[in-house]
Amino acid sequence: MKRFKLLLCSFVVLLLLVGAVWSAPRLTIPEAKFDFGFVPQHSKISHVFWLHSTGDDELKILKVVPG
Amino acid sequence: MIAVGDSAKLEIIFHTKTYRSKVTKRPSIRTNEGTPHKRVSIISTVTPRPDSTYPIRMQPYKIDLSQLTDKVIDEAEFTISNVSEEKLNIKMIDYCNEMFDVELPDSIDPRMTVKAVVKLKENAINESFDKSFTIELSDQNKSRFTVPVKRMVRHTINKSTNTRKLDRGK
Repeated sequence: MKRFKLLLCSFVVLLLLVGAVWSAPRLTIPEAKFDFGFVPQHSKISHVFWLHSTGDDELKILKVVPG
Repeated sequence: MIAVGDSAKLEIIFHTKTYRSKVTKRPSIRTNEGTPHKRVSIISTVTPRPDSTYPIRMQPYKIDLSQLTDKVIDEAEFTISNVSEEKLNIKMIDYCNEMFDVELPDSIDPRMTVKAVVKLKENAINESFDKSFTIELSDQNKSRFTVPVKRMVRHTINKSTNTRKLDRGK
């Protein structure tokens, strides 16, 4: 019986580990490209992109690096 | 941090400075997803002569809603001139609906000029911002034009005393 419990515990731990390894964040950007067309010089323009977290772990935005 | 199934907004602001012609920027987004990093891209055709564009010309080509005195500035008119020989339909592609609305005609006949208005939203009355709106025309190239909309608040407005004026624009 003791051996069975130990085996069961090991199995549960193994399942949790596998789950932790397999769960991954995923960033999906449905519209990742935007064309402003003609814009005047010396002005600021802006556009909002939607970022979706579609993985099975929460997504952390670490940094946005200007292109 | 974005929870599983949730979404977030990423605003990209581009300062056109003294760029000329076609400019593409591709900011990358570093996340805990790892590499390769995902990117968004913005494309623009920066023109040093915005007063001589084709097939339309906008006057003014930049909208300034700055609140510098106690006189409430909550809307700005501009004109769109069709300098081509074809009727052009106008479609709104993108604008900051949290800050303002844009009233545009649906179309402009050849060689005609029409009026349009940018109206500030009530919740934006004391906000300073640099935003823009983008329209698309029905010409062969599906030409797009982006108009910068700026507001700088130096003189704060009491919302309650200006409700009637702002309600007019709803």
